[in-house]
This record gives sequence, C-alpha cells and structure tokens, in this order.
Amino acid sequence: MSTALTFCLIAMVFLATIGAPISLAMIVSAVVYLAVKGQDLGLAAEQIIQGLYDSFVLLAIPLFIVAANFMNAGTISDRLTHFCLALVGRLKGGLGHVNVVTSIIFAGMSGSAVADAVGLGKVSIDMMVKDNRYTPGYAAAITAATAVIGPIIPPSIPMVLYALVSDTSIGYLFLGGILPGFFMAFAMMAFNSYYAHKHNVPLEEPVPLREFPAVTVRAFPALMMPVILLGGIYSGVTTPTEAAAVAAAYAFIVSAFFYKALSLPDIFRVMRESTRSSASVGLVIGAALVFNYIVASENIPAQVSLALKGLDISPMAFIICLNILFLVLGCLLDASTIILVIIPIFIPTLKAMNIDLIWFGVIAVVNCMIGLITPPYGILLFVINATTGIPLRVIINAIWPWVGVLVACLACMIAFPEIILYVPKLFGYVPGSN
Amino acid sequence: MEKIVSWLGERAKDIASFFLGLMFLTFIAQIVFRYVLNLPLDWSQELCLTLWLWTVFWGTAFVMEDQDHVRFDIFYASRSEKGRRILTFIYSACILVAFVVSLPATYSYVEFYKIKNSMTLGIRLDIVFSVYLIFAVAMIWQYALRCWRTATGQPFEWQSFYATPMASAEQLERTEAKS
Repeated sequence: MSTALTFCLIAMVFLATIGAPISLAMIVSAVVYLAVKGQDLGLAAEQIIQGLYDSFVLLAIPLFIVAANFMNAGTISDRLTHFCLALVGRLKGGLGHVNVVTSIIFAGMSGSAVADAVGLGKVSIDMMVKDNRYTPGYAAAITAATAVIGPIIPPSIPMVLYALVSDTSIGYLFLGGILPGFFMAFAMMAFNSYYAHKHNVPLEEPVPLREFPAVTVRAFPALMMPVILLGGIYSGVTTPTEAAAVAAAYAFIVSAFFYKALSLPDIFRVMRESTRSSASVGLVIGAALVFNYIVASENIPAQVSLALKGLDISPMAFIICLNILFLVLGCLLDASTIILVIIPIFIPTLKAMNIDLIWFGVIAVVNCMIGLITPPYGILLFVINATTGIPLRVIINAIWPWVGVLVACLACMIAFPEIILYVPKLFGYVPGSN
Repeated sequence: MEKIVSWLGERAKDIASFFLGLMFLTFIAQIVFRYVLNLPLDWSQELCLTLWLWTVFWGTAFVMEDQDHVRFDIFYASRSEKGRRILTFIYSACILVAFVVSLPATYSYVEFYKIKNSMTLGIRLDIVFSVYLIFAVAMIWQYALRCWRTATGQPFEWQSFYATPMASAEQLERTEAKS
C-alpha cells in the first residue's frame, strides 16, 4: 500500500468517525491522496463529474425515488395495509404477517429499503402496538427487517449500483432477486408465527369475506404497479431506466387522478423531497466513484486477485469469507459505499474463479441490505427511531432474531444457487456467461 | 436582507426541483417518441444526464440540509454539546481546506472544456460542468460559516436532531421501564 493511500484511508476513517458527511469525507480524502501523490487536484472533480455524467443507468435512481415519493404522498400505504389485513390478518400473528406482505408488495414498487420503512413503518407499527398486542420493540424490529426485502424484489437501487461496477445486466439481476425476496418473506412469516404462538398474541377480528372485493378494488391500481414495471422490462419494451420513468409517471397518475390524494402543493413538496434524496444519493455515488478510481489506480483489485491465487482458496470458501467480511462491514458502513467501493476490489478475483456474477450480485445485495439493520450503523433502525420515537436501544434489543433469520436465508442462497438463478434461467440466462 | 436571502434560497430550491422535474418529463417524452410515435429522439439522453448532474450538485449546494447527508454519527451523537462543537469545528475545517486548496485546479479542469461541445446538444462542456464549481463554492461558504459558528459559540447543528429526539427517546425509555 502506498503512502498516499495510507494517508487517504486515515483521513477517510478519521473524518467519518467524527461525524463528517460520508460523501464529503470521501472527497476530502481523495484530495489528500492526490496531494500526497503530487497529482493534479482537479482529478477529484474530474472523476466525480465524469462518473455521474457518463452513467446512463444511474438515471434510474432519481426516477425510482420520485416514484416512491409519489406513492408515499398518496394514500397507497393505507390502502395496501387494508388489503393485506383482509388477506392475512385472520392468521395467528396476523398483524406481523400483514407487515411482511405489505412489504412484499411495496418492494415491487420501490427500489429502496428506506423508502419502504418510511412509507409503511408508521402505519404498521401504530397498528401493531395498539392495545398492547405486540411490544414496540417487536413491531419496530419486524418493520425494519421486512423493509430489507424492498431492494431485493425488483426494482432495486443497490442492484443498479452493482450493475454499474460489475458490468452485469440489470434485467437479470432484477430477475435474480424475485425468488430470494419471497423466500426471505416466507422465513420472516414463519418466525412471526412462532413468536405469535409462543407469546399467545390475540387473534384479529377477521375482515368479512364479502368486503374483500371492495378492499381489493381500492388497492388495485397500486397492485398493478409492479406488473407494469416488471412487464415493461422483461417484455423488452422498455429499458430498466425507462421503466423507472414509467413507474414514476404511473405513481403520479394513480395518486393524483385515481386516488385524488395529490394537490398542487403536494406535487411541489414531493419534487422537492425527491430532489433532496436524489442529491444526497447522487453525491455519495459520485464521491464513491472517486474512491473507486483511487482503488483502481493503486491496482488493488489485481493485487488482491494475485494474493488470493497464491492462497489457493476454494471458490466456496472465498464466497463465505467475503460474506463474513461484508456482514462485518455492513455494521459500520453505508450499503452504497460497500457496493461501490469494496465490491469492485473483488470483481477480478470472482471472474478468475469463474463465480457467476449475477448470483454473487444478488447475494452481495442481500448481504448489504442485512447491514441496514445491524447495529451500530443500521440506517433502517435510525429511520424507524426517527419516524416512531421508539428508542434505538429497544429496537436494537429486538432486532437480533431477525438478523439471525435473514443471515440463515443468505446462507441458504449461498448453499443453493438455484434460489437466485432459477428465474433468470427461465428468461434465458446462462450462468457463468459473464 | 434576511428576507431577500431566504427568498433566493427558496427559488434556488425551486430550480433544483425544476431540473429533476424536467428530467422526468424528458424521459417520458423519450419513451412516447420512441415507442408510440416511432421517432426516437437523439438529444433526450444527453439532456437527462446534464439535468442529473445539475440536480445532484445544485441540489447539494442549495436544497440538501445538514441532516440529509449520509453519515456515521454513533461516536458524534454520544458526545456532549461541547464535544460535538469541537468535532464539528475539526471536520468543517478539513472540508473547508480541502475544497479551497483544490478549487484552482478544479476551475482549470472545468475551464479546459470550453474547447469542447457536448455530443448532440452542442452545449459547451465547461458550462455543463460549471455546476461543480457552484457546488464547490457553496461547500466552502457553508463550512466556513460552520467553522465561524462553532468557534464563536453560536448554534451550529440542526439542534432538534441531536438534542430533542434523544431526550424524548430517553424519556420514553424511562416510562417504558416503569411500566
């Protein structure tokens, strides 16, 4: 490791630890790197500008954000919750199941876990803690854990970022996430049933069957969103980026005209909110791309590949080690930083070992999303703390079983690649073709 | 004076929303022209990328608030107000120095592109990229201000984020412990 890189990493860790915004900390440490190396300091700006200006796929991200914000501004979360209550509310542990199923549907409309937690969190948690059915800790933990499904079932912002650094197909990555998303949801519902039986959670008043058609009609336009989005991408009609624009337009039309839940001031508010989130995400991506440039110019990926070749490690052992590394990093780092900066280091090694990059991509995204609920740095825990006021310590105490369930799911996906690859193969993907 | 500044600030935010909104509409136009009218547009992609660049940097400069930044604040949040003030001063000073020191080189990078025009719209690229300079200057201004505020004992952070909710969370915890 060169002196410049050492200084750069020290600056990065120091600034991030004392509370500087991660994106600016990365830009500052890139300037430190260039200064120590005696290179042109303008290179930092060049890498950020070119990185953002050249990547057409990144345009999907602000559009997914706009779509999710239009959905959240309308009354969609209420309608979906009622629909799911009619669907699974009558089961033992009903409200917990409602939480999982709404997350699945919401996951098909938005590509970000944070958007899911913001959109559904408060409604679901209020309902669960009413009349002391569930403890606030359990309600908060299940909401955080189910929001993890958001970026696994397509669309998915982290998968767009992975596609960017690994040069793989967004379409196949999205397809690869479908079964794992349902698999994780199923595991969480099983755990919720176990909890409800153990703590003897009272049954809900079932929604009468005759009300079911009306509830479905109310929720129907929202339920069509995933169909339009995925249908567009997989019929080959639109590119994923265009599908994101269509989704945003659809969300707008449904909220404004069908549900009549958007006034003109609401539209301005949604656009402003979306600008804030887009700028925040965009800046992190731009800054991570500068870091990416440094990592590449230090030739680290090739060195890692060479070092691992010397160790003669088996592909499976390598994947397991990487996953443990990502889980540990997930406790400390932001998911997009891991995907944009850490993962590219290992891509050449993965290729040399003939590991399928679509399979690995989905695993890496699932892993990084588990990082969103692992303390101390788990953004979903913070979001739920901020929107509901349930203390962080209470949420953290209750989150561990859910982390366990999700890590078990991850282990299954590593052991049985078909969970991920089955659907892409149906659409003509040939594993190992990257 | 304050009124004028806040009015300008609001309009800067509207402009950022306009960039994002226009990008969204351009995309829709692109789709309609390609798939419905069968007349693919050649300029839409470049316009979207330009607007994305401007949304990110203009948005960071004028719309994003301190609490919108992704940050790792476990250590920071556990300090006393005085400790947070010192930490804020240190990192603000680092950001300020880095942006000031790299500004001349950044300027000459952007200026270099005056000889080049963009592919389809033919806009001079130094104009397209100049938004990064706006962003860099805004960061210098914001973090200089923050250094000044932390050093002179003025409020320096989005107070309610670290002060109020933490306190109320503790209260909640206490009441929960009692029950």
